Amino acid sequence: MALDAETEIWAHLSSTVFPVYLRNSLLLLVGVGAGTLMLGVVSGFLTALFEFPGRRWLEWMLMLPMAMPAYILAMVYLELLEYSGTLQSALRDFFSWKTPADYWFPEIASIGGAVLMLSLVLYPYVYLLSRNAFQQQSPVFTEAGRLLGDRTRYGLWKIALPMARPAVAVGVSLALMEALADFGTVQLFSVPTFTTGIYHIWFGTANAPAAAQLSLSLLGFVGLLIALERFSRRQQRFHGKASSLRRSERRPLPNRYVPLAQFFCLLPVFLGFFLPGWMLLHWSWQSFSSWNAGRFISDASNSLLLAGITSLLALAVAMLLNFGIRLPNRKMLKGASRLASLGYAFPGPVIALGVLMPLSWFDQHFNQWLNAEGQTGTYWLSGTIFVLIYAYLIRFLALAQGSVESGMASITPQIEDSGRMLGSPQGKVLRDLYLPMLRGSLWTGGLLVFVDVMKELPATLMLQPFNTSTLATRAFAYASEEMLKEAAPWCLAIVMTGLLPVIMLNRKLRSSAIPVDTSHRLMPVPPESQLQPA
Amino acid sequence: MMTKTDPPLIECTGLGKSYETIEAVSELGFELEESESASILGPSGCGKSTLLRLIAGLDVPDRGSVSLYGKEISTPQRMLPPEKRRFGMVFQDFALFPHMSVGANIAYGVRGSKAEKKKRVGELLDLISMPHLAGQMPHQLSGGEQQRVAVARSLAPRPRLILLDEPFSNLDYQLRVQLRRDIRDILRQQGVASLLVTHDQNEAITFSERMLLMNRGRLVQNGKPSEIYRYPKTLWAARFVGEANQLKVHHVEGNSQTPLGILHFAKISSDAAASMMIRPEEIHLQPPEKGFPGGSIVSIEFAGPVQNLVVRLDSGEDLRVATSPKRIWTEGESVSVVPEHFQCYDDSGERLDDEADLTPPT
Repeated sequence: MALDAETEIWAHLSSTVFPVYLRNSLLLLVGVGAGTLMLGVVSGFLTALFEFPGRRWLEWMLMLPMAMPAYILAMVYLELLEYSGTLQSALRDFFSWKTPADYWFPEIASIGGAVLMLSLVLYPYVYLLSRNAFQQQSPVFTEAGRLLGDRTRYGLWKIALPMARPAVAVGVSLALMEALADFGTVQLFSVPTFTTGIYHIWFGTANAPAAAQLSLSLLGFVGLLIALERFSRRQQRFHGKASSLRRSERRPLPNRYVPLAQFFCLLPVFLGFFLPGWMLLHWSWQSFSSWNAGRFISDASNSLLLAGITSLLALAVAMLLNFGIRLPNRKMLKGASRLASLGYAFPGPVIALGVLMPLSWFDQHFNQWLNAEGQTGTYWLSGTIFVLIYAYLIRFLALAQGSVESGMASITPQIEDSGRMLGSPQGKVLRDLYLPMLRGSLWTGGLLVFVDVMKELPATLMLQPFNTSTLATRAFAYASEEMLKEAAPWCLAIVMTGLLPVIMLNRKLRSSAIPVDTSHRLMPVPPESQLQPA
Repeated sequence: MMTKTDPPLIECTGLGKSYETIEAVSELGFELEESESASILGPSGCGKSTLLRLIAGLDVPDRGSVSLYGKEISTPQRMLPPEKRRFGMVFQDFALFPHMSVGANIAYGVRGSKAEKKKRVGELLDLISMPHLAGQMPHQLSGGEQQRVAVARSLAPRPRLILLDEPFSNLDYQLRVQLRRDIRDILRQQGVASLLVTHDQNEAITFSERMLLMNRGRLVQNGKPSEIYRYPKTLWAARFVGEANQLKVHHVEGNSQTPLGILHFAKISSDAAASMMIRPEEIHLQPPEKGFPGGSIVSIEFAGPVQNLVVRLDSGEDLRVATSPKRIWTEGESVSVVPEHFQCYDDSGERLDDEADLTPPT
């Protein structure tokens, strides 16, 4: 689509908005990269290698901001920190300032604000992966380093950090992919980026070629990040070789550093979860009298319906793909499943556009034909919930696919062979063996898709049928009309569902004695083997 | 015993299977009788597991067929599905169903009422001497116990044939030997035919009455273990099944000379012989004596029941010799070498089908 666009559009874009999008997206990447790195690596390092009061609590609390979609955090802080917001009003009252000229206050609706919001919800990627990497480092290495005359006690700069670097890079690239795909935060903060650009061009001018051009540029960035992520993952495998030797024992942290460590670990949790969570509770309580329960219930049931249908479909497709791979003649299916799992790297607006353009083309032409036949046309495909589910499937299939795949990996082909040899035809093998053994993976995959659909914003905004909305789009609509407090119950419902996978992840981390690589739970990418040409 | 005219339990004819360009199994044919136990021995990658899967019905042959009592069950065109063959299979990684208890695993293949299943599970648990473990989950068992359960599970539906795919190689040495004996006895007691795939010659020799030696997808030799050991059909077989000394034959002035003497054949021309093979334990050592090839002992390895020596012949070749440890040799000692049983091979490595005599070198 983008390829046959007229060159004028590109010329226009590149002279006007494009440089702005580019600049903002780059700033966002640099800022979020630095932010997640700082928050994630420090907290990961402290909780992995040291024992201090509160460490056990902080270890899981540090994951909590994952439950908070960035746009909800942005709404809360906008309400708190903007000129007419809670904090500034209080300050003005207290100091009897009258106008903005009387004092200086940082502008939250800025690129810096967006960086802060995104860093606060995305650092857990870096935290989890770096903590894992630090934990897996065998003390043999630091001990060897000390024997070789490394005088710092933990070999921090020469051994621990360089060895964790690949894992940290994977975490950061995952966080950056999410940052690049973010729509809600930058839209609320009026920071134009590629995602908002695609959205506005599509809705404002319906200029499909221009929107496609922007999508391609955005995908270029995504491609770079995927490359970085792959590269780091390959390195990680090499670096992680010695993990089975012996696990690091946590050393007690010297007393004078304890408050500092606690502060550093608590700060992102407080800012990224407890404060906004509390505010949402508070505002929900405040606006309870004016709460439109009917609207809430209808939005919630839309959300649940969409999320439920999508997760079931995603699981069904993932099962088909995974079983297909085990059949002979699987080259095609292997390609298909590889392709399917790439969808997760595509930002919502790009997927929405990719789904809309061919479908609305079909609608247009079908309607023309109907008109010619003397019938009236309508939106046949675009603007139905099927389009929306289709887009969700493309975007989130990888989550189901990854879970089912890791479940299947633990079922050897000999299990199926045993079943057959014991007299069960394939259908019975599926029912008796595969399904019960995959139950955990199916729940996990389904839940991940479910929650991500609940949280999804830009694609839903672009594709939702007329006159219907979901929890996410209603909350965003309130926020766009500066009715942030009214949005609180809707946001709260989303955050509460978002907590489910965090709890699950935490249980998984606890139950496994060996640190597990959770990166595919965070953002499933096909295992390396799948990317190699067969 | 069946009469000769009855069709065998399993008959493979011209069986072939290729993966991409590699011929895993080619032109393979053999028969297995009712209650017979045979092992398929070969180096890894020789196609022995593929052969087992073809018989099991888990893979489709590209050529040839597998017949059961004379009826074709696997051909490139038609396959009787594995679940209808009533064969049992035991895998290297045990492949127990991890979400089912030991009892449920064993009962899985048994058809019949609950009571019948329970009775059968009890019988098999007794058979593998684990009567109290029905309620355990597979992950609570040791490797050896898991493999016993896997055998019990495959026996539970009373199969006609048990296929065992390297069942002992995941276990450590002592356990392997013990379990091999136990399972062999169980299978014999049940009277069920078995095919064991292994790359371990000891396992093949001790487990079954018959051995199929495979290399590069082809059947090299088919016979009793002792027969294959004593009369290996090729030099490769001689080396793969046990240790072998291989000595070159030189043809000088119409004589076929070896470092151990001159070869004389009864039926064939001695020109055909290119090498002779002699097992280390078929060499008798004695104090130096005229008329026998001489040498000296260059190394000694005491290994409990045997003593492994290397004898350097006066002609320069090294011979590996296994002797009883009752007579202690010392390094550097001079000896005479008396070969007792040997085989001769042509230049393509095929055994010459003739008994040969050796006369001492002049």
